[in-house]
Amino acid sequence: MNPVVRWFHQLGSPPTFDRFAARWTPWCHGVALVLLGLGMWQALFVVPADYQQGDSFRILYIHVPAAWMSLLVFGLMAFYAAIALVWRIKLCEILAMACAPIGAAFTLITLATGSIWGKPMWGTWWDWDPRLTTELVLLFLYLGVMGLYGAIDDRRAAARAAGLLAIVGVALLPVIRYSVVWWNSLHQGQTIRMFGESSMDASMMLPLWLMVVATKFWFAGSLLARARADNLRRESGRDWVLRQAGAAP
Amino acid sequence: MSYLEYVIGAYAVFVLVLLWDFVVPRLQIRQQLRAARTRKARAERPTVPLELNR
Repeated sequence: MNPVVRWFHQLGSPPTFDRFAARWTPWCHGVALVLLGLGMWQALFVVPADYQQGDSFRILYIHVPAAWMSLLVFGLMAFYAAIALVWRIKLCEILAMACAPIGAAFTLITLATGSIWGKPMWGTWWDWDPRLTTELVLLFLYLGVMGLYGAIDDRRAAARAAGLLAIVGVALLPVIRYSVVWWNSLHQGQTIRMFGESSMDASMMLPLWLMVVATKFWFAGSLLARARADNLRRESGRDWVLRQAGAAP
Repeated sequence: MSYLEYVIGAYAVFVLVLLWDFVVPRLQIRQQLRAARTRKARAERPTVPLELNR
């Protein structure tokens, strides 16, 4: 068997995944913290203030990466859930359910920082604008997935039910993405492009990319940590868990 | 046009939410490992006979 394929099969084993997660979580969070520190230092102290928005534009450096993560994490959660539903891979169930609270956290950051930016710029904390409203619905979907997973005692049945909700919820992602195109929106259109020219000045871009990469590493660390916690809970009572706890002879 | 309080507020929200995301899974892992140790200790404890001995 191909060594990479074999490694993936081995990673599906709960004790192997536990060791993997315990080893790599601190590295992911460590890299994320360094990048977050650098990005926030650049965003707050190095980049000049915007000529129209003043310093309030610095909120963009946390708002935009969090917004991108809120969509990406939901897509990934649905992807893991689909694999878990089709092939009944337990680790994918665990990973899908571990995505939900992290995605909810990023969505909450997006809504809160957007609201804080909106007060001085739009003159209001909140508006029932298509982008804001659909992002709020995304938060409710995340909370729905978490609630459903927590409400059913049988972990595997719970993961399947919540996973199905996540898969159905994917339909919301293009609506959020194109809400500023399809409807008249108070929210500004796309100013930053991954591929192609952004309408933001190049001197302001570095901290944004630092924060974008940092949030990816943060997510990887959190995903491993949360999946490890759920894996330990599901496997409680097994010998390897006792050994891991240092209680076995 | 500094809007400093808004910037501080937004970054505070960001840091607090990430801090929550950092702490919660660690507490859950610690709780699971402690529960495993407790179960093991309970299983190894010698059983006390329930009936009275003369």
